[in-house]
Amino acid sequence: MSISLFQAFLMGVVYYLGIIGTPWTTVLGSASLFQKPLVAGTLVGLILGHPAEGVIIGAAIQLPYIAFISAGGTIPSDPGLAGVLGTAFAIVGNVDPATAITIAIPFGLLGTVVWVLHMTIDVAFVHMADKAAEQGDLKKVCFLHVVPPQIVAFAISVIPVMLGAYFGADYMARLVAMLSNDVLHVLQVIGGVLPALGVAMNLRSISRPNSMAFYMLGFILSVYLGLDTIVIAVLGFIIAWFYTQLQKENG
Amino acid sequence: MEQNTERKTLSKKDVVKSFWRWTFFSHANYNYERLAGTGFCHAMAPIIEKLYKDNPEEYKAAVQRHMEFYNTEPHFGGVINGMVIAMEEERANGAPISDEAINGIKTGLMGPFAGIGDTLWQGTLTPILLSIGISLASSGSLAGPLVYAVLMMGIMLSIAYYVWMTGYKLGKEGLQRILESNLIKKVITGASALGAIVMGALTAGFVSVSTPLMINIQGAGMSVQTDILDKLFRGLLPLALTLGTLYLLKNKKVKATKVMALLIVVAAVGAIIGIF
Repeated sequence: MSISLFQAFLMGVVYYLGIIGTPWTTVLGSASLFQKPLVAGTLVGLILGHPAEGVIIGAAIQLPYIAFISAGGTIPSDPGLAGVLGTAFAIVGNVDPATAITIAIPFGLLGTVVWVLHMTIDVAFVHMADKAAEQGDLKKVCFLHVVPPQIVAFAISVIPVMLGAYFGADYMARLVAMLSNDVLHVLQVIGGVLPALGVAMNLRSISRPNSMAFYMLGFILSVYLGLDTIVIAVLGFIIAWFYTQLQKENG
Repeated sequence: MEQNTERKTLSKKDVVKSFWRWTFFSHANYNYERLAGTGFCHAMAPIIEKLYKDNPEEYKAAVQRHMEFYNTEPHFGGVINGMVIAMEEERANGAPISDEAINGIKTGLMGPFAGIGDTLWQGTLTPILLSIGISLASSGSLAGPLVYAVLMMGIMLSIAYYVWMTGYKLGKEGLQRILESNLIKKVITGASALGAIVMGALTAGFVSVSTPLMINIQGAGMSVQTDILDKLFRGLLPLALTLGTLYLLKNKKVKATKVMALLIVVAAVGAIIGIF
């Protein structure tokens, strides 16, 4: 079986709806629904007329991304692209779910390129919005906030997925093979490094006296005690509460 | 400030309108320079229109005030929007609330709520609901994704709405008290401490750098990563990388887009020559 151009386009739209922040289904819908392989895979299955396979393969590809966190605008890998193209090629190639995961992961790394592009191009619209704000033109600020960035996001997400899905698994497999392990390794390293930027931007905004001490505490609790983030957050709450009490006593 | 005899009040509808604008559009222009900065202004639009439409100077100032860098987890962080809406309402009625006070609330609370919100939403609720969805989906049943989607949207949007309205109520009822007393300072201090702890945990979990380098000492291979760096301090590379990035952003005032380009180049070159 093969993928028609229209089906390929629809898959591109599914991927676009999963770019974090696209407004069509709320921000939550983009990040928590369409970007999740469980949901995106199901939709790709429906598009291809194999809903059951889509659900099973989407669920399989979801596994490595269960505890995925995108913090501060950086993503280590893109579950959305992995979910859409991974499921599509797994259904067309009739492979088992475990193999589907192997097919999908490299696409997740490629997807970070789309995200970085989107986050970078959007800076231009901020500067245009600044000019509109100087004139007190709120309507224009709102327009610039929504329309141009979303046209860009649509273009850079739909076109690559449509072409990739249409030209097919073989073509993409060759592309991925051509990229070879070296290129994928580079993307993997970049994906591992970029979250540092998100964390650092957040730390900069928190930055108060003593915040680095608290930061180190959280880091050590995680690295040496291996505690889950939620446990560390509860401990952090207790510590923060006592800390504010201390501050009060000191005036 | 011009004093009108008639008090300018926001209706519940205005506050809810702002909530939905934020819920749909907060990240529509997400970018490396100001993250959700223009998103905040976009969500404030109905509030600014209502409060300042008779006062062009204040109107313009309000638009510009809300174009600043802003980044938080949008659902739990809605408490900040609610408070800021209440502050703008008081300001429009002549209360002495400065730009600094409004920006202080925004920048003081956004980081902590980003850390807390991401931990609760992406780090806790999402894995739980996904596990439920995946277990239902493994037999190929559409119930898997459907149950996951309904629970996720229902729970998170309810939380977001509640948090938003609570922020507004807190702001309305306690604003004067909060501004006069030390309370807000205490809240920001405590929230920042908590936020920093969570950021430390997120660094350990999500920044990943390691080196495959080996050193030969008298014929015996020694891994730089496991035999040296890990013994020195586990997670040294991710920690150093994050702190280095923070140093560039904060102390050297390098733009985020430049820092990002630098990180990509360093990572790519390092990966190609085999350091990472």
